[in-house]
Amino acid sequence: MKEKKMSPYRVLKKEGTYKVGFDKPDVEFRQIGKRGVRRYDGYEKASGKALYTRDVNLPGMLFAKVMASPHARAKMVHLDTVEAEAYAGVRAVLRYDDPAIKDMELTGSIAGTTRMAPDSAGWAMLPVKTILSDQAVFEGQMVGVAIAADSEQIAAEALKKVRVEWAPQPFVLDNEAALTPEAPRIIPGAETNQIFDGRELTEHGDVEKGFKAADKVIRFEARRNAHLWAGAELPCVIARWSDERLEMWVHEQQPYLSKLILAEQLNVPMNKIHTHSLYQGCSFGERCNPSNWSQNGINVLAALLARRADRPVKLVLNRAENFYGFSGDLMVSKFKVGARRDGTITAVHMKNLFANYMCTTGVEHLVDNTRIVNLKCEGTTVFVNKPPAWWNRCEQLPNVFCQTLIFDHVADELGLDPTQVALANDGCNGHDTSFLKQFQQANGFPQRDSLAECIKAGKKAIDWDRKWHAPGARRLDNGRMHGMAFTWSHDWDDTRGTGSAAIMIQNDGSVSIIAQHSDVGVNPWTTYMQIVSDELGVRYEDIEINPFDLNVGFALMSPDGSCNLVSNGFVIKKAARKARRMLMDLAADKFNLPAEALDMKDSEIFEIADPANRKPLAEMVKMATPMLNAVGIWTEPPVIDWAWHTQGLWGMALETGRPRMCRQANFIEVEVDTETGEVHVTRIVNVNDVGRAISPETVEGQMYGGTYMGLGRALTEELVWDPATGVLLNRNLLDYKYATMLDYPASDNVIVETELGHGPYGSTGIGENTATMIPALLGPAIYNAIGKRIDDFPITPDKVLKALGKI
Amino acid sequence: METKVTAKANSACPYCGAVFDQWEDLKTHVLKEHGSEPLPRPTGMISLTVNGRSHELMVQPEWTLYQVIHDHLGLTGVKMFCDRGACGSCTVIMDGRPILSCMTLAIECDGCRIETAEGIAEARHPLIETYVKHHAMQCGYCTPGFINTAKALLDRNPDPSEKEIMEALAGNLCRCGTYPQHPKAVREASQILKEERSE
Repeated sequence: MKEKKMSPYRVLKKEGTYKVGFDKPDVEFRQIGKRGVRRYDGYEKASGKALYTRDVNLPGMLFAKVMASPHARAKMVHLDTVEAEAYAGVRAVLRYDDPAIKDMELTGSIAGTTRMAPDSAGWAMLPVKTILSDQAVFEGQMVGVAIAADSEQIAAEALKKVRVEWAPQPFVLDNEAALTPEAPRIIPGAETNQIFDGRELTEHGDVEKGFKAADKVIRFEARRNAHLWAGAELPCVIARWSDERLEMWVHEQQPYLSKLILAEQLNVPMNKIHTHSLYQGCSFGERCNPSNWSQNGINVLAALLARRADRPVKLVLNRAENFYGFSGDLMVSKFKVGARRDGTITAVHMKNLFANYMCTTGVEHLVDNTRIVNLKCEGTTVFVNKPPAWWNRCEQLPNVFCQTLIFDHVADELGLDPTQVALANDGCNGHDTSFLKQFQQANGFPQRDSLAECIKAGKKAIDWDRKWHAPGARRLDNGRMHGMAFTWSHDWDDTRGTGSAAIMIQNDGSVSIIAQHSDVGVNPWTTYMQIVSDELGVRYEDIEINPFDLNVGFALMSPDGSCNLVSNGFVIKKAARKARRMLMDLAADKFNLPAEALDMKDSEIFEIADPANRKPLAEMVKMATPMLNAVGIWTEPPVIDWAWHTQGLWGMALETGRPRMCRQANFIEVEVDTETGEVHVTRIVNVNDVGRAISPETVEGQMYGGTYMGLGRALTEELVWDPATGVLLNRNLLDYKYATMLDYPASDNVIVETELGHGPYGSTGIGENTATMIPALLGPAIYNAIGKRIDDFPITPDKVLKALGKI
Repeated sequence: METKVTAKANSACPYCGAVFDQWEDLKTHVLKEHGSEPLPRPTGMISLTVNGRSHELMVQPEWTLYQVIHDHLGLTGVKMFCDRGACGSCTVIMDGRPILSCMTLAIECDGCRIETAEGIAEARHPLIETYVKHHAMQCGYCTPGFINTAKALLDRNPDPSEKEIMEALAGNLCRCGTYPQHPKAVREASQILKEERSE
């Protein structure tokens, strides 16, 4: 039969799309997996040479400031900017009613366009202008007027000269209160404050049947307050116009997306926007969110002010201004769980009420990594007069929160060891682990039981079998109560995204990785270089990457959300292989041998049958593809090829046909002081099956770092609003307390490598897991210590004392 | 020549402050009384020695040391993170002590010797390479602040214990949570310095 000829587009698509199955390594690992590979960004970061957006100053640059709403909800009735405009050093003023922007929908988000599903956009769907509006819906909102001046001080002074009158309106801060009939409507005339969301009901099986089959039915409730990413480098941007071309320096995880938003909101063609994304001083999802009003809002405002002043404009939010936005797990939850005596969970019914955004409904992990057949989750989202919420390392916080509480309550009520309950329910989409085993076999993966391996390693590390005890049963010699807890989940390969990159072998044999990529601190570029080194056969130290310019045309994982290496690793690997194929064809001519007879290692090409017959790479590339130019001089184009890859599917958490097989287990030990209510964390053991660790130190770095962030979220990090005024009270890093070096011990990190990941060489993600898992662990640990439940997070000392009946 | 004191500020002698009504009188006075003296330092001028290089800088009274080092001298190793002296990212070493450059007015630093991460790297201090080796950075924004604090510690205590290192670095915030890697890096740098001293 005649083979059907595919169109070039289809060939390309086939080449780039992820194929389900084990990416079995077929090269010798020399750099991959090795400890001691020199960190690419290390010297620049340690020596202060690394350049971040905030470090950039351009000639003639102006500085901008934006008015912030002092009210939780208010309508601006008068705005007088005459004095501010006349203030010496002020170069541009942009008012909400300026004819240039009056009709623009400055939402700072891509919502409302076809690019974000309206049924999951949350805050972004609020049909009011969130940037430079005359209607404030939360305290701290950027409203009214933006000013660009010769210095930041002048801009701030000029803002004080603006005369503004507000008509305050009633507001609501509490999720539950916002749903009552008497609550003020945030959107005028709306029937309810509830936000429409297509994920309001998730149902699998029949929960009523499940409860009937249970030996025990448990009911409990829990609440969670909001916390914040609070990254190191404040949100900042520089915009500069040259004729109709716009040059941007952005602090963004997803610079391509920011370009898209600018193009849509300012009507500038995308090819006229030249974007630089330098080193990124933290991100954690803060700098990559389509509904992040302030992130994209400052980009839009800087561009507008720069056009008006005809000068470059820098807009940096200060630390207080950076506090207006929060994690997507401000929730009130109710649970009903049925279980059999052996720990098998027969049914879960949960109701979760979220404020401003439902990242995830709370049930997805139970779908993705358990055999529980009967699941029902009602997820409701409601507008309150607080800043926008969105995913923040990471969107799985509600899922981990719910799963941990459910499993801990079940183990406790049945008097079982929680590790036993985990193993009794491990599975996927209602199937037990034999489903995963079959999948492993059918798709060439190794036959391993990830959860059993993780639990075994973790129990050993923390000495679980000897130390585990009933709640409230162990007082220590120092008078404190001892507590332990365990939680578990699947790996973080909930990923999707597309990336492209080129590999260029320069004329001197050095190698460049060509692609824009935003560094968020996860040491990505070292790992790409490790892959290129092993796949191409070149020396690690001969590889370079310059990822700061979006205009090179290739971009790695943009959007760069939850997915870095598991997608970009494939891109890099494919590009390296294609460049190698081209190089070997060229080498074949010089060796007078077929390409298959040659190999390359350590940047030397040799004959496989006679390794003594070898030539350095530099010699091969020299005059490899000579071209005669117009004036008769030979030029030498480098050897270059490119590849792309798309990973995963957007959609439900369980990506069809791609069950998660890697697991993780987290263990903790605490001491609770029953006199002061203080919780002292004494031991943390993180066990992560990362499939394959490309850079083990990087994996450990994520486990260490996530632990500190997670413990902060569990115990001290909390946004506090004044109920009387709706004003955020602790918008600085002294009153919003996150961990210092002395607050918690270093975690013990155990890396398990089953090769069960869907990423390159069987790898899976590590960056988001720990910070998301650890916060949920403290509730069970404190319960195990004092024998009293505190289901109100974060757990501050006052809540401990209250639970103990002391206050 | 008789000097007449009036309230006119623009005719004061830059050397001795004597005030003249007439510009010509001031000129004559300066040539006669101060002709061979070096020019006096104008108000707002400070001398700073930064990483061994001396600078004469005109500063505004409200400028912080951070602004001068970062914006005017172009040393990007001082970073603004918390905006108010809570995080240690803007740390520089001033006359041997780690200080917060965002909370220090530049005009008060006249005559001071300052070290930043750039200078520490340039001097090939072992801390830089041990920081790279132990991955004591993620996003890297706070890292130079840690380097400065650690260098000041090693200058004053060449053989610190892990506890002493942690206490010294406790004022530096790292949102990425790289904390456990720092004591390892500082300990190793201290060992290298010890070996260098004994050579």
